[in-house]
Amino acid sequence: MRWGMGWAVLAVFAGSLICVLFFLHGLRSRETGNKTSIRLGIFLYRGDDTFISNVRLALEEQAKAYEQKTGIKVVLNIEDAKENQITQNSQVERLISLGYDALCVNAVDRSMAAGMIEQARAADVPVVFFNREPVEEDMRLWEKVYYVGVDARESAVLQGEIVLNAYRRDPLSIDLNGDGKVSYVLLEGESSHQDSLIRTEWSVQTLKDGRVPLEKLTGGIANWERSQASALTQQWLEEFPGEIELIISNNDDMALGAADAIERMGIMEKINIVGIDGTPQGVQGLEKGKLLGTVQSDQSEYAHAIFTIAAALACGEDPGEKLELVDEKYYWSGQKPLVRE
Amino acid sequence: MKRVEKNRWLFLAFVLVLVVLYLLSSTNLILHDKKTEIFPISVIVEKTSDEDYEKLRKGMDRAAEEFHVDLSFITLYEPNDQTQQFQLISREISDGARAVILSPANPQEAGMGLETMVLNSPLIILGNLLPARQVKVGISIDYQEAGRLLGEAARENSSALPVYMLTEGLEYGYAQEIYDGVCQVLEGNGYSLVLHTIHSPEDCRRLIESTVYPQKQAAVLIALDEESLERAARIMEDSTVYAENIRALYGIGGTTRLLNYLDKGIIRGMAVHNWFDEGYLSIEKAVSVIQGESWEKEEITMEVYYITRDDLRKPAYEKMLYPID
Repeated sequence: MRWGMGWAVLAVFAGSLICVLFFLHGLRSRETGNKTSIRLGIFLYRGDDTFISNVRLALEEQAKAYEQKTGIKVVLNIEDAKENQITQNSQVERLISLGYDALCVNAVDRSMAAGMIEQARAADVPVVFFNREPVEEDMRLWEKVYYVGVDARESAVLQGEIVLNAYRRDPLSIDLNGDGKVSYVLLEGESSHQDSLIRTEWSVQTLKDGRVPLEKLTGGIANWERSQASALTQQWLEEFPGEIELIISNNDDMALGAADAIERMGIMEKINIVGIDGTPQGVQGLEKGKLLGTVQSDQSEYAHAIFTIAAALACGEDPGEKLELVDEKYYWSGQKPLVRE
Repeated sequence: MKRVEKNRWLFLAFVLVLVVLYLLSSTNLILHDKKTEIFPISVIVEKTSDEDYEKLRKGMDRAAEEFHVDLSFITLYEPNDQTQQFQLISREISDGARAVILSPANPQEAGMGLETMVLNSPLIILGNLLPARQVKVGISIDYQEAGRLLGEAARENSSALPVYMLTEGLEYGYAQEIYDGVCQVLEGNGYSLVLHTIHSPEDCRRLIESTVYPQKQAAVLIALDEESLERAARIMEDSTVYAENIRALYGIGGTTRLLNYLDKGIIRGMAVHNWFDEGYLSIEKAVSVIQGESWEKEEITMEVYYITRDDLRKPAYEKMLYPID
């Protein structure tokens, strides 16, 4: 009997200890509730990328609107990795060590997201990736990892349809020399970016499905950059004089680079150029007649989604209650085609 | 000792080991981490985005790492809103900022306002030192000298051409001092100076268009602030006609976009200074004030340089204009 009592006392003691530990742990977890301020780290792969720079500005606007609406102070710390994953890793590490509430990461190398996720998980700091989608395996590493982007296939199909519709209305507006085939060149983004391959594939496929007779003259990688695209296009214009009728570009910056080359070389023929992203610069190019069309992803919706998920996580709320997420992790921002009048 | 009793003590020891391990790994009760003091410092600027402060931030970030500073970089809802800056200063200090670094939207108003505010943390001004008690350090350039440099550069143009000076308003930033510097040089040399207050890109476009239509009137432009310089450069980039009539564009600034315009030849010359050093110094000084190492008010004047396109790739300027991380 005495021994039975002893065991009972021990069990009660152990149970009480466990309860106390859980209580302490619970207290620490609840520190995030009822916040009066949140701190978000924004990590950009390259701050001078036009699309990313516009998303950054939209994020700053979102933060200010949120602050005014809720009274919760928002501290945004925006870091530019200048295309260096090692720099980005140390930026992430630093803001985690400073106790930031959530991280919004535009990864330099999307295949290297696991390291950042592990660091964030160890500190229990949620991560919202955007624009450069980590591989699915990494996205599944932790439940507090999210992704905001646009559906690359949808962008490409819409881009293809811009050309297809113009061709259907007037074939000679696209087949400029009327030889029965549309000779095109392709400007592609980085080969490591998931959207490059998909945009290229589905844009051309949409034209083929629409029975537009196509002839690919050449193509090249210009890494999303206007200056690189401009140099490549100039080279192609010299290589295929009078032959290029259509330039399909994976984004607006490269499309504008192609337009720069055409302007620089004084070519008067109206070579059609199509881009993707609908950046303000791209839309301006469209208005000035430099581009035939672009696919505009709604940057304020894009930034709103990133910010809403990050702010909800920072406040310990479920982002799924604020936005409709696919597979509880993904948010696909809307987009629409814009065509030269 | 009976076997059951032995088991009981073993179990108790096991539980105690678990508790100690928990306390060691998850709390500070037994082993105290060596505590590095982190200094929360807030930076309040006068624009609505931090995009244009790239070089300043690089210097600040470098110093923040070295001096263990937790930096909050705060922009305004509306540009040049001095009232909001006052609110933000109070908010940041009550939220625990040990020092505030302020780039005043309207230095005169800031000087008067700060004197009436009760502040529990010191202020470092990115600009001229202000008399308020809590303002400990001012880090600035000689703005009149910057104006004189721009005026001297503009003298390469004929004095028959009118010189249009563009500003968002002489009350903002240090436009008044730059203006005085330009006037000192050009007025005595027979140039006719016209001050234009530019509130929007459209105002700037109308002014530049007026050099072409209804009649051609060539002119020289000097922008007294970054915003006006960028607006003018952006408009001139759009049309070669403007470049014929605007014989030269000068101004003060140093963002990467402005340097690109200088490189393209749209801007003829700019007055610049070392923003990286300014950012670094501001954090260094803030930490030293927090630590009580510096009690006296201190005014630091940084050197100002006039650069043209040819200077962009000179090593001395390249390092200053494109600082690496």
